[in-house]
Amino acid sequence: MDDLEFRRRIYADPNTTDKDMLAAIKGDSDKAALKSSLQQLDGKLLQAAKVPVPDDLAHKLIWQQATGEFNRHKRRSRWFIAMAASVAFMAGVTGTMVFNQAPADIGTEALAHMRYAEIETPHSGIEVGMQQVNAKLAGFGGTFLQSIGDVAVANYCHLNRQQTLHLILNTDQGKMSVFVMPHNDSNPVPPAFADEKYHGESWSLQNASIMVVGDKGADLNPLVKKVKSSISFSA
Amino acid sequence: MKEKQQRYEALVHAFHGDIYRYAYWLTRDPAVAEDIVQETFLRAWRSLDSLKDEKSAKSWLITIVRRENARRFERKQLETVDIDDVPVADEAFHSGNGDDTEELRILIARLPADYREPLILQLIFGYSGEEIAEQLSLNKNTVMTRLFRARNQLRDMLESDSAHQRGRHNG
Repeated sequence: MDDLEFRRRIYADPNTTDKDMLAAIKGDSDKAALKSSLQQLDGKLLQAAKVPVPDDLAHKLIWQQATGEFNRHKRRSRWFIAMAASVAFMAGVTGTMVFNQAPADIGTEALAHMRYAEIETPHSGIEVGMQQVNAKLAGFGGTFLQSIGDVAVANYCHLNRQQTLHLILNTDQGKMSVFVMPHNDSNPVPPAFADEKYHGESWSLQNASIMVVGDKGADLNPLVKKVKSSISFSA
Repeated sequence: MKEKQQRYEALVHAFHGDIYRYAYWLTRDPAVAEDIVQETFLRAWRSLDSLKDEKSAKSWLITIVRRENARRFERKQLETVDIDDVPVADEAFHSGNGDDTEELRILIARLPADYREPLILQLIFGYSGEEIAEQLSLNKNTVMTRLFRARNQLRDMLESDSAHQRGRHNG
């Protein structure tokens, strides 16, 4: 084997075990030296090629699959309920538009959404952990520093076309909802709102408005306090 | 269902690191690489039943990463230029901070994609010339030539750089 051929092949694979390559090295110290220097380079190249992997990547991959699968399952089994809900919802909206001339504010939207959400039964035995709630909240740059209670459903929804995170919690005063809505000038949130079935309160943070809604007689204060002390937004 | 979930998690744990690194070297952008890896594993979940053994799973994942990367170029063809076609001055490299690994990363990133890709398959996945040829749908001679050129260029760059460093010191 001539030098050029040897060079091409040892560069292509410094760890070659081809018999003729090994034989060529045996009788030639220059070739052996070239091989060993290329192997040394390869060690460094391997180290360089192994760029750091994001710490939480494996968890993210497992988490995205689990949520994707869950949503698919939910979609499949509940499409007919969703259909009925949509029809009822549209009927409600149309009715509101015909009989109520006042423009719908976000509070009213949230109340309407409560009815819709009632049909949406909670998760099939899958508990929504803080990590999952925070994964959704992260889209708005926010996080809950500690648990705010037993979250049964965490979903994005749209209030006046504004994407909003809707959490449904089981509390000792029945089901309550927390809406987290990024600020939007066209959607001012009233500080308090109510209808014949629910009532709600809202407050504004630097980046988002929060609404807490419960049944008419329910005391919203404990949940309001919990959310206020736990939620945090990155600047 | 539960068994499928376990198989999927095993697949993630076994391959996510190397698949991420492979995507990183194709894109040279950690955020884009992460997106591609997420898309790749979503597809893996859907096709999990057909991924019988470790070897075919690895090769399948690599194929999807490459396809996702190619798709990115189809989408962005009009907005971007390939960095290979543009002279890039990286001062960081000449700062002489003496970090071998960082220097080599810059040099590997500078290799033409055609040379870089087989080299990464060989280094990270331990693929032989035949396996790389099969994975990239090339013939083996082409692969061996590209591997030769990859290391040859790296050595040249390392030498010219240390000459450059000496020049700076002396001058």
